[in-house]
Amino acid sequence: MDKIKLILTLITITITVVPLVGALLAYQGNLVGLFVPPEINEIADKFSGGGGNGGGSDGPQVEPVGPPEIDPVSHTIRQSIAFKNPVPFDITLKSLSGDVQCVEHDADVGVASLEDSVSIPAGETRTAILVINMEKGENHLKSLHATEENVEVTLVNVSVDISGIQLQLDQNQMDQRMEIPNFWYTG
Amino acid sequence: MAKINWFGFAGGVTTIVMIAVSMVYPWWRLTVGDGLLTANASPVNTNFGALGTSFSIPFIWALNVVSLLTLLASAVAMLIYSVIPGKSYSKQLLNFGYKKPLFIVVFFVVGLVVTMLICQTVLSLSIPLMGSTTSTLSIPFVSGVNITVLLSAGFEWSFWLAVVGAALCIAARLYHKKVAAVPRV
Repeated sequence: MDKIKLILTLITITITVVPLVGALLAYQGNLVGLFVPPEINEIADKFSGGGGNGGGSDGPQVEPVGPPEIDPVSHTIRQSIAFKNPVPFDITLKSLSGDVQCVEHDADVGVASLEDSVSIPAGETRTAILVINMEKGENHLKSLHATEENVEVTLVNVSVDISGIQLQLDQNQMDQRMEIPNFWYTG
Repeated sequence: MAKINWFGFAGGVTTIVMIAVSMVYPWWRLTVGDGLLTANASPVNTNFGALGTSFSIPFIWALNVVSLLTLLASAVAMLIYSVIPGKSYSKQLLNFGYKKPLFIVVFFVVGLVVTMLICQTVLSLSIPLMGSTTSTLSIPFVSGVNITVLLSAGFEWSFWLAVVGAALCIAARLYHKKVAAVPRV
């Protein structure tokens, strides 16, 4: 009976000690490697844009494609936008939304949002449609910009959902101005 | 007819099935965003995924091997015990085997909770044990950008199989007196 107890105790000690000592011996020259595998550096490279096919620290590239579609009935502008994925892994641009602000008066004059989500493979470019609705700014544009055919606006309070990670950019991060048609232009 | 401790037998079989299943299906899974970061944890196989790269941590791998061998030894002891519960050494086999699956389940859950508390304290990142939550990250030296991530976590069916296995092993211990009792003449 004591023999059985001894054998069971030896089994317990062996299965506990051997793997741990084995791991320590395997990494004795590099104890950090026991806790930080080399793949961590690879991932850090991806984050910093140092590896992979699209790798670059340029940030996402966003460019309008072609002329905007203007619908004067619904006061809506539809603009195709090319999004380049600069990181070496696939992403999905699930949503993008923001307020359209008149540059001259800092007044909200519309809202912008992405029509559909778009999946962008690593390093590639895909097109999505940005829909800008200007109904919100009717009063402002009628009263203060009635004589201007185009109004200079900027996007503020921009919120972007990339593969489930939501980025909220404040005003200073999004300083892209654009000219959009004034639906309430009276000449 | 020889007496069999059916609870012990079922506990041993369940533990072996659970070991095999846990190699593929984690006990607990954490997903950040839409799978940009993942953690698949079980006492016998823990791995992580980030941006399409999967990896394991050697120290955790060694702990997984310890757990795997411990569970395997426990299951074998329970199976041997369950078919010969009346032998003189059976009680020792039972004592060797019945507690280990429970201890591993408890240590696993305690380990998860401690890891979450450390993440909460050190990184100010609140990770749910079960369910989903959003967490705001701050980026050093970068102002004007708020990053919010969706964290989803939960126990998988393999964890509940382990709980059943542990419960059967405990039941085997409670049932032992009945199967090992010497009948009075």
